[in-house]
Amino acid sequence: MGCCTELYLCKLARQPFSIRKELFMGKIKKKFRYDNVGIFFVLPAFIYMLVFVGYPIIRNIILSFQDVGAGNLVRGAKNFVMFDNYVELMGDKVFTTSLFNTLRYTVLCLVFQFVIGFALALFFNRKFAFAKPIRGILLVPWMIPVTVTALMFKLLFATDIGVINFILRSLHLIGKNIEWLTTPGTAMFALICANVWIGIPFNMILISTGLTTIPKELYESSSIDGANKVQTFMKITLPLLKPTIESVLILGFIYTFKVYDLVYVMTSGGPVNSTHMLSTYSYKLSFEMFKYSKGSAVANVLLVILLIVGVFYIKATTDEEEA
Amino acid sequence: MKKRKITALFMTLAMTAGLLAGCGSSGDAGAAADTTAGDTGAAQEAATPEESADDSAPAEESANDSTGDAQAVTIWYYWETEGHQVALDQVIQDYNASQEQYEVTAKYVPFADFKKQLSIGASADELPDIAILDSPDHASYVAMGIFEDLTGKFDVSNYYEGTVNSCTVDGKLYGVPFGANCLALYYNEDMLNEAGCSVPTTWDELKETAKALTTDSVTGLALCSVQNEEGTFNFVPWLWSTGATSYDINNDNGVRALSFIQSLVEEGVMSKECINWTQGDVMNQFISGNVAMMENGPWQIPTMQSEAPDLNWKVTLIPKDTEYSSVLGGENYAVINGGNVDGALDFLTYATSEEKVKFLMDKFGYISADKTIAESQFEADSPYQPFVEELNYAMPRGPLAEWPSVSDAISLAFNQVITGTATPEDAAAEAQATIDSIMK
Amino acid sequence: MDDEKRASGKKNIILCVASVLILCILLFPLYWAFITSLKTEQEIFQNPPTFYPHIVNSKSYAAQVETGDFNMFRSFGNSFLISIGATVIAVLLAVPASYGIAKYRFKGRKIMLLSFLVTQMLPVSVLLTPMFIMFKNLHVYNTWVAAVLADATIGIPFSILILKNYFASIPKDLEEAAYLDGCNRFTAFIRILIPIARPGVMVCAIFSFLYAWGDLAYGMTFILDQEKRPITAGIFNFMGQYGTKWSYLTAFAVVTIIPVALIFIFMQKYIVSGMTSGAVKG
Repeated sequence: MGCCTELYLCKLARQPFSIRKELFMGKIKKKFRYDNVGIFFVLPAFIYMLVFVGYPIIRNIILSFQDVGAGNLVRGAKNFVMFDNYVELMGDKVFTTSLFNTLRYTVLCLVFQFVIGFALALFFNRKFAFAKPIRGILLVPWMIPVTVTALMFKLLFATDIGVINFILRSLHLIGKNIEWLTTPGTAMFALICANVWIGIPFNMILISTGLTTIPKELYESSSIDGANKVQTFMKITLPLLKPTIESVLILGFIYTFKVYDLVYVMTSGGPVNSTHMLSTYSYKLSFEMFKYSKGSAVANVLLVILLIVGVFYIKATTDEEEA
Repeated sequence: MKKRKITALFMTLAMTAGLLAGCGSSGDAGAAADTTAGDTGAAQEAATPEESADDSAPAEESANDSTGDAQAVTIWYYWETEGHQVALDQVIQDYNASQEQYEVTAKYVPFADFKKQLSIGASADELPDIAILDSPDHASYVAMGIFEDLTGKFDVSNYYEGTVNSCTVDGKLYGVPFGANCLALYYNEDMLNEAGCSVPTTWDELKETAKALTTDSVTGLALCSVQNEEGTFNFVPWLWSTGATSYDINNDNGVRALSFIQSLVEEGVMSKECINWTQGDVMNQFISGNVAMMENGPWQIPTMQSEAPDLNWKVTLIPKDTEYSSVLGGENYAVINGGNVDGALDFLTYATSEEKVKFLMDKFGYISADKTIAESQFEADSPYQPFVEELNYAMPRGPLAEWPSVSDAISLAFNQVITGTATPEDAAAEAQATIDSIMK
Repeated sequence: MDDEKRASGKKNIILCVASVLILCILLFPLYWAFITSLKTEQEIFQNPPTFYPHIVNSKSYAAQVETGDFNMFRSFGNSFLISIGATVIAVLLAVPASYGIAKYRFKGRKIMLLSFLVTQMLPVSVLLTPMFIMFKNLHVYNTWVAAVLADATIGIPFSILILKNYFASIPKDLEEAAYLDGCNRFTAFIRILIPIARPGVMVCAIFSFLYAWGDLAYGMTFILDQEKRPITAGIFNFMGQYGTKWSYLTAFAVVTIIPVALIFIFMQKYIVSGMTSGAVKG
C-alpha cells in the first residue's frame, strides 16, 4: 500500500527540475556505473569497522609473532620470534583441550538453540491470542547481561543447594546429587544449557522476522494445490528462509565460538581446565599470566578458524545470488 | 509535491554529509592511534600527570576553592566492600584537608578487572599514581617496570619480613605493605562440642574431627579450591606444612599434601564443590551451618559478625603436618613511576603513620604489617588474635615475576586430585614439570 | 488485517495453554532469580531449596539503589545513553550498508561482506588494549563516547548480515519502477526500501540496543569513573573477592531487567507490529 503511494508521488514529481538532474546524473553515470554506486552505501560502515576493529586485528597478529610478556610490555625490546608461540601452543595440552572444547561447544549449542528457536518461531507464527505477547516476553533472557545469566545458572546447577538437582531428585530421575560443575563432562553440559537458553530467543526472533518476508500468497496457493504442512514447510518455508537461516547460523557460530563471559563466570575453564575455550584461555594467558604474545596467538587461531568458516559462508551465499 | 521531493533530497544529502563527516573523523582516529601505537615508549613520560589532573579537575575545584592549584594524585584499589571503601575514603579526605599541595582521589577497579586494567593501562600509558594491589602480583608489575623504586624512602624495619619480601625485588623496595592477613582455621564451636571433639592441631586430628562433624547436611571442612590464585592461596599452607616449597613439589612431601586433600574429598568430609567456592562462598556456607570448619582469613570477621551474630565460632591455627604454616595475604601500595611521584610519596607517608594504619586495619579486619602495631592491635580475647599468632608462621607467595604461572601449575595439581582426574603422584609430577620449565 | 486466519475457539485455547507452558519452562531461571532475590542468604543455602521465600527479605533491593559510589539511577541513565548512542550509530551505518550489499554487485563486495564477518570474530579480550589506546588518543577515554563507539562495533556487522536478507527479498522491479518514475537511488532507498525493510531495521535496532545494554567488558575497561559506568558494572558490588551475595546479585538481575522489560511491554504494539507486519506484499 505504502509503496504505491510513493510511486505515485514520484510520478507526479517529474518536473523540469528532475529532467535537469537526470542529465547531470547521466554524466556521472559513466563514472559510477549502476553497481559501483553501491559501494558508497557500504563505505561508511566499512570504514567505521576498519578503524575500530581493523587496527586491533593487525596489532594482535603482530603481537602473536613477538615475545611480549610482563618484562617487555612497556619498555624493553619486543623481539620477533616468528612462529615460536604457535609451536609452543601445539605442545600445550590446555590449548588442544580448549580448541576441541570450543568446536564441540559451538556445534552442540548451535544445533540445540537453532532447532528449538526455529520450532518456537514456527509455533508463535500461528495466529492465536497469546502469540505476540508471549513471543515478546521470551526475549527477556536476552536482556540480562550474560554475566548475570552465568551466575544464575551457576546457582541452578549447584550440587547441594541447586534446584536442578532437587527437581531431578524429586522426580526420582537421580538417586544422588549430580556434581554438575565439578565434573568435567557435566560442567560442559551445564555451559551448553546456559548458552542454549540465551540463544533460543536470538534464533526465534530472527527466524520469526525472516518468516514475515515470505509472501502469504505462496502459502495460500500451496494449500490450494493440496500440499500438506510438511510439504509446504520443505517446499516453501525452508527455501525462502535460506538466506535468513544462513545468516542466523553464521552469526550464531561466530558469537558462540568466541564465547567468553559465560564460561569465565560459570566455570573459569575448570574443573581442571576441562571447559577452557580458546577465548577464555587467551584471556587467561594475556591478563592473568602476563603472556601477552601467547594469548594473542590463541586468539589468532580462533580468528583463522572463524575466517575459514566465514569464507565458506560468503562463497556459498554469493554463489547462490549470482547463479 | 515538488517540495516534498526536495526535502527528501536534502535529507539524503544531510545524511550522506553526516556519514562522510563520520568517516573523516574516524579516519583521523586510526592514524593517530597508529602513530602512537608504534611509539608508546616516547609518549610514556609525558602524559600521566596531565591526564590525571584532567580527570579530577572538577572535584578539585569544589573541594579546594581557595587554592585551586593542588596537584592530583589518583589511587586505584579493588575492595568492593563498602566498609573498606568508606575507610579508605576517610583517610583520603583527612589527608586532603590536612594540606593544600595535593588532592588525592581514589578509584575503584573491581578485583576481577584489576590485573587487566593495570596491564592495559601500562600498554596505553594511562595509570594511576598509586596502585593498591594484591601482594603476589607485585613482582610481575615490578618486572613490567611501572613501579618506582622506594628503597630508603620508607622505614619498613619493623614490618613482618614476609610482607616486605613481597614487595622487594633484587634487594630493592618497590612498594609498602598496606596491611597483612593470613589464613587460619575457623570452627563452629557448638558443632564441635556436640560431637564431643577437641580443637584439632594435626592433620590426623583434623580428619578425625571432620569425620565426626560430617552429617547428612553438614560437611566437616571447607577450603576455597578454585583453580586460580585464590585457590593456590588456600592450598599452599597445607603444602608448606609438609616441608615442601612452592617450587619443589614432586617429592614425598608434595605428594603427601595432595594426598591429604584428596582423602578429605574422597572420604566425604570436604565437598568437591570447594573447587567452585570462593573464600566468600566458603564463608557463606560456614555461616549457613552447612560447613563445620573452614580455612579463611580475618577479613571475613566483620561480615560474619553482622550477618550471623548468633553463630558461635572460634579461630585456631591451621593444623600441621610437620610444622605450622600459613600463607601471607594482603595488599601493597605501589607508586607508579612517571606519575605524580612526590604527591604519591607524601600521601603514603601520611597513610602509613601509626594512627592511620590503626584506623584502616581496624575497619578492614586486617592486621598491621608493622609488627609493633600488630602486637598491640587487638584484645587478648579478640577473634583476630589467633591471626596475629598465625602470622608468625605465614610466608609470602613468590615474590617472583613468573608467580602467576607457578601458581597456575599448583592450582591445577590440587584441582586434579580433588576431582579425581589424576593421582597425587601424577599431579605432583606434572606440576613439577611445568614449574621447572618456568624456573629454568 | 492479520486476524483473518486467527485460530478459532478450541484450537486457540490449546495453543494459548501450550504457549504459557513454554513460557513457564523457559522463564523458570528468571523466576528462580526473582525468588532468590527475596530470600535471606541463609535460606538460599538451605538444602533442599525452597520454592518461595519463607522469610521475605527486601534488604537486597534496598542495597541496589546506592552502594558506595554506585548509584543505580545514574547507572541506568548511563546505560541508556550508551545503548541508544550505539544503536543510532549501528542503524545509521548498517542500513545503507546492507542495502548496498544486497542490491548492488560492485567490485570488492565479497571482500567487504567478509570483512564485516571478520570484524566480529576477535574475542573481546584482544580488542580491549588496542581500543583503549585508540580511545585515549581520541580523548574519549573515560567518557560514555568510548563505550558508544565500542558497542556500535557489535551492532553494525550483526545488523548488516541480518538486514541484507531483507533488502535482497525486496523485488528488484519495485525499485526499478521507482527509478523510472524519477526517484533517484537515495530517494528510492529512503522512501521505498526502508519502509519495506522496517521489520528488519526494527529487529536490528533492538538487538544493537540489547548488545550494548548487556555489555560489561567495554563499559568497565573504557570508563574508569564509577559514576559514568553503565548499570552492568554494578554487578561487581555484589560479587567478587568477598564472595557472591546471591540475594543482592539476583536482585540486581531483576532490577536490570525491569526497565528494559517495561519499555518492551509498553512499546510492544509498535515493536511487534514493526517486526512482523511489514512483509513484502505482492
